[in-house]
Amino acid sequence: MAIPSRRKQTPLSVRLGDVAARWCITIGGIGTIVAVTAVFAFLAYVVWPLFLPAKTSSAKTSALPKLASPQLRLGLDEYGVIGWSLSEDEMLTIFRADTGELIQQRPLELAQSKTPAAAVKITAAAFANDSPGAALGLADGTVRLGQIGFRTSFVEAAKVPEALRMLPIGQRAILKDGIVERTRQGQFRLQQVDAKFHESIRVSTSPIVLIDQVAEGGKSIFCALTGDGKLLLELVTERKNQMTDEVVLKTRKIALPYKARDGQAPRHLLLTGQGENVLLAWESGDGVRIDARNLSAPAVAEELRLVLDPAAKLTALAPLIGRRTILVGDSLGQLTAWFGTRGTDVRTSDGIHLVAAHELPRSPAAVTALGASARSRLALAGYADGRTRLFNVTTESMMIESAATGQPVVEAAIGVKNDRLYAVSDNRLWSANFNPRYPEVSWSSLMLPVHYEDYPGAEHVWQSSGGTVDFEPKLGFRPLIFGTLKATCYSMLFGAPLALLAALYASEFMHPRWRARVKPTIELMASMPSVVLGFLAGNVLAQLVQGIVPQVITIFFTVPFVILLGAFVWQLIPQRRLVMWQRWRFPLIGLLAVPLGVLTGWGLGPAVERVFFAGDIMRWLDGQIGTGFGAWVLLLLPLSAVGTAICVGLFVNPWLARSAFSSRSRLAWVNLLKFILGSAVALLAAMGVSALLTHGGNWAFGGLDPRGTYVGTYVQRNALIVGFMMGFAIIPIIYTIAEDALSTVPDHLRSASLGAGATQWQTAVRIVVPAATSGLFSAVMVGLGRAVGETMIMLMATGNVPIMKWNIFDGFRTLSATIAVEMPEAPAGSMHYRVLFLAALTLFLMTFVVNTAAEIVRLRFRKRAHQM
Amino acid sequence: MSDVDAPQPPHDAPLPAEAARPQPAPPEPARPIRSAQASPRENRLTRIARGEVVEPVVHAALAGQTHVLEVRELDLWYGMKQALFNISLGAPRGQVTALIGPSGCGKSTLLRCVNRMNDLVDSVRIRGDMLLNGDSIYAAGVDVIELRKRMGMVFQKPNPFPMSVFENVVYPLRVDGQRNRAVLDEVCEESLRSAALWEEVKDRLHESALSLSGGQQQRLCIARAIASDPEVLLLDEPCSALDPIATGKIEDLIGELRGGYSIIIVTHNMQQAARISDFTALLYLGRLVEYGPTADIFTRPQLSETQDYVTGRFG
Repeated sequence: MAIPSRRKQTPLSVRLGDVAARWCITIGGIGTIVAVTAVFAFLAYVVWPLFLPAKTSSAKTSALPKLASPQLRLGLDEYGVIGWSLSEDEMLTIFRADTGELIQQRPLELAQSKTPAAAVKITAAAFANDSPGAALGLADGTVRLGQIGFRTSFVEAAKVPEALRMLPIGQRAILKDGIVERTRQGQFRLQQVDAKFHESIRVSTSPIVLIDQVAEGGKSIFCALTGDGKLLLELVTERKNQMTDEVVLKTRKIALPYKARDGQAPRHLLLTGQGENVLLAWESGDGVRIDARNLSAPAVAEELRLVLDPAAKLTALAPLIGRRTILVGDSLGQLTAWFGTRGTDVRTSDGIHLVAAHELPRSPAAVTALGASARSRLALAGYADGRTRLFNVTTESMMIESAATGQPVVEAAIGVKNDRLYAVSDNRLWSANFNPRYPEVSWSSLMLPVHYEDYPGAEHVWQSSGGTVDFEPKLGFRPLIFGTLKATCYSMLFGAPLALLAALYASEFMHPRWRARVKPTIELMASMPSVVLGFLAGNVLAQLVQGIVPQVITIFFTVPFVILLGAFVWQLIPQRRLVMWQRWRFPLIGLLAVPLGVLTGWGLGPAVERVFFAGDIMRWLDGQIGTGFGAWVLLLLPLSAVGTAICVGLFVNPWLARSAFSSRSRLAWVNLLKFILGSAVALLAAMGVSALLTHGGNWAFGGLDPRGTYVGTYVQRNALIVGFMMGFAIIPIIYTIAEDALSTVPDHLRSASLGAGATQWQTAVRIVVPAATSGLFSAVMVGLGRAVGETMIMLMATGNVPIMKWNIFDGFRTLSATIAVEMPEAPAGSMHYRVLFLAALTLFLMTFVVNTAAEIVRLRFRKRAHQM
Repeated sequence: MSDVDAPQPPHDAPLPAEAARPQPAPPEPARPIRSAQASPRENRLTRIARGEVVEPVVHAALAGQTHVLEVRELDLWYGMKQALFNISLGAPRGQVTALIGPSGCGKSTLLRCVNRMNDLVDSVRIRGDMLLNGDSIYAAGVDVIELRKRMGMVFQKPNPFPMSVFENVVYPLRVDGQRNRAVLDEVCEESLRSAALWEEVKDRLHESALSLSGGQQQRLCIARAIASDPEVLLLDEPCSALDPIATGKIEDLIGELRGGYSIIIVTHNMQQAARISDFTALLYLGRLVEYGPTADIFTRPQLSETQDYVTGRFG
């Protein structure tokens, strides 16, 4: 007989369920990790190109047509197809850019007469690098304004000569005075040189030595130095006759102060900005800046040394885009960028001082040519050894360097579309395609102070976009990171203590029935959309608080005082009743003391303003009136209160204990007296130290004023308001988690402590809180994470000013708000777009680091409180 | 808040209330002892289970004792359910009193009433009173904190705080505001020696108490309970979570503490009660059944029901 098997088998359904559950959990877990990693990877993928170096491709050299007379300037079109060159005898040479083949030579044409002007030798010429505008100074003392540019047109296939009809796509051929190229769409694109000049303007009778011009719309300003030593500024207005289409130039002439140096004429003449300043530079490196803003009284603003090394000679000078930064190259290969800065110690007529803000990496050979980009702050420098180097001026970084040829570079230029580099040396044209990528962005420009145009010094600035073409993007990340940290700090300062104490009260003191009701109510606070909180903070609370700043500050001090006072007064109740009312002490003190404290603060506010803040807190905070005394009292009062409490605990309490007051009520009276005296002592001590710090002029530390640090100028939307509202936003989260953590502390620990004769408060502080540290820590960290990432409140209530000041009454700008504000206006793939992604990545890493650190600390706490 | 700020009188100074306390009241005249024969023939336990009032039997030997703790007609309800019925008994000073009885008989509840730990349970109502050395425990206006400082309690499960051994022992002094290191050191050593733990932990006083074994932890809890020199030591099934060797050590310890301390111990282990206690009270369903010297209860009880219980016929 077989013994029936006793083995029990797990049913298939249970096993299947087990397998399914395991797979689901595994997939879910891995999926979460993958999702987070994917977000990180995508952010990194978008950000990555920001840090790639610039790239050049298809560099080539072609011979230029051999020309007899010296060439003044060379220009190339945006496609790198056709070029022109202007010679001293007013002859325009048009050539094919890729081969150097000559297309045409023709004299300059005049817009009106259609007939070539009588050839006069050109003695000075100025060409704008961001427009086709040109000004020519002639040997007869006249000036011709006009432009040499390019004209693009598409030719119908029928009109193209037979020989060219079958031109392969991408190939070029000469057609009349231009070059035709077969585009990818099969069209014939004709590129021609378009040069037109107005009638000569008589400036002087002697030849023009130097000239420069700036043009905007129908107006232009040119400045010319004549052979007889006169510096003239001429304002030219174009007037078009509506009937005849005739253009009439109206001019106004202003003589500028000028003196030759050592009998030498300057080598460079430059109009800066819109023609506000005229800069003259001599080969010796001396420079003069003439303030020409007030045309009725132009004056020399300052004399300069534009070359840093005394042994060097000034060899090249060119303006960057916007003409406010001037690049100066010297014979020792040093390249410097100069721009005007305002400062308090500047004694020039316009309050501006030209400084060498950027020193670019030095080269062994002399700088011989400079070309600036028409789109960004790039500059191409050509050197005496035939080398060219591309610089980004703002970041002082060299991006591209070409090989030396041995022959000096006579001309260097960057294509209009910022995609091509040109250099001419030894009558050969070197050209290369290049991709600048994102020259404005580097670790140093993001994280280190940068000297931006018009700023007095190197600073952390965030201003990612501007209205003008010549805008210099300012990508200092520090103010944003600082703003995020400031927001987090002040939010936590308000929210965390309140939430933790509330959780402690609820879990340790509150009646369980009430606790069950309070918790959902507080959690309901978390469901308040943060946009509502932001709206309330920015539009209601900010305006409300602005009118009652002294009261608000006073309330911060009166409420804790009144609550403590309430606690001491409570002790005066006879013991019998005290014990019976024990359960009601917190609600009673809270309901009575908090409103009482608010009322007291409200009432005392104006008096406090008179005594400590010179009667007008706004002006006082701004530093206009009063002394730092009030601010010191504000800052020192909490410290002196804590100090007094410690002193009382150390010295007064043991003495009181020795005196052994027989009755409890007498002890309560003594305690109340002690508290009131202690408060007075704390206030007096704070005031005494403050007075010493403010008025102690005979000592080294006298006259200190904390205004401008943690307190300072009041701005309507500030960290205090944000702190209030963020407190409201993070309290529910911290409260919920903290309360859970405290509730999970085993009751047997509470019993042990209470059984040992500890009060509930002692039990809470000595046993429950240490045992729940890990949970409380997580609560704070989750709150911190919320504060770091919070966007709407920050967006609406901070004022979004990217400044770095701890001043609680000042605004700030957070990473999250920056992303929210600027992302809609950043074109996808642009530098701005990628930098905002970098902001997102930074935010991600910040929370990641904080959370990881928090988790490590939390695990340590938990390990310690384990085994319970 | 106010509890912390108010200066606590030093540990060894007489408490204000203590100074005014009258001398222990003379023992009450012994109640007439009912013999098993005097009671009706029907089993008392059945009658108790039916909810009838059954007078307890208290041995005459208790009459001559000075009582450190006296329970007077104590009733206790958990919500609507009555858990203790008219309990009256006295715990002799310097002796070990054991409370025994089957599960749910209310012996732990009674013990927790002594230091008012039941106050923490919201639904508890109490009628009657207890006297600790003549002072009422349940009168209105009694400061529970001061009351608990006069007792030490050890729980079923060892519950050392997650702190060092030293801090665990001196905790009752710490909460009294004692900061004098010499006093703390002395009390720590004294208490640990009394709890027979000193030799085992003297080199690791500043290590976590959680690293001790279960038996050591329980002795640490006893050391903590006697650190404040309590008038009565309450032990709530102190050995139920321990192995026999640890149990043996605790029992030895209780033997050593006898005389110096008045001990009330709740135990479900009758052999333990027989071994360590001087007096034993048997409770059943919230009522006191019989109370007398341990030797009498275990060898010649006056009630047959007690005989049945101590010989293991029920419970």
